[in-house]
Amino acid sequence: MSRFDTYLQSVVVRAEVEAKEDSSATIDAHHLLLAVAAQDGTDAQRVLHAAGLGYEALKDALHREFAHSLAAAGVSLDDFELPRASQDPERRLRPGASFKLAMERMATAHRKKDLHSGHLLLAILQAEVGTLPRALALAGVDRAGLIERVRSAL
Amino acid sequence: MSSKDPADALAAVAALRRLADQLEDAAVEQAMRSGWSWPQVAEALGITRQAVYKKHAKRLIAAGVALRRRG
Repeated sequence: MSRFDTYLQSVVVRAEVEAKEDSSATIDAHHLLLAVAAQDGTDAQRVLHAAGLGYEALKDALHREFAHSLAAAGVSLDDFELPRASQDPERRLRPGASFKLAMERMATAHRKKDLHSGHLLLAILQAEVGTLPRALALAGVDRAGLIERVRSAL
Repeated sequence: MSSKDPADALAAVAALRRLADQLEDAAVEQAMRSGWSWPQVAEALGITRQAVYKKHAKRLIAAGVALRRRG
């Protein structure tokens, strides 16, 4: 297994944990991004950190997107007191549509043997619509600028 | 719906589904911990007993929740 394969595997394992905490039936692109931000000592984590997007900041941005989107339908998260639900540690989640699209973008743009953490980050950030770009916009992140910084760090 | 932006409306759908999933996990667990049976929970949710069991039994057993089989 290549170094990138090992990296990708640990990202997906972590992303699955994030998805379970969300009670999500699928692993989505925003779970992948949280997992990328949580992998210490990687180029991808460094670029995110330099942009003020550490793991906690991303988590916060995603929560704000969730609350903001619910508010558009007249639902306030403050009205819910959700007790924490137990998760099945054995359950395997399947990749969601946004996960698959990110993987496709990465696979079509680069040769497999060239792949690094930055390529995965790039593919995740390139989603134009959905939870992730909305969360970044709400957090005041210049997504296009961030994509350029990731590209130049490759 | 106060917003006219389709992006907001679509995001609201995604967020409501996510909230419903979170609420379902929490509510089913709470009911089973309070001694509800699978058929009761299924009827309250409007889905079949098999569906609710398949979706939630493993995680509740793993969490050590004492489950009642019969209504």
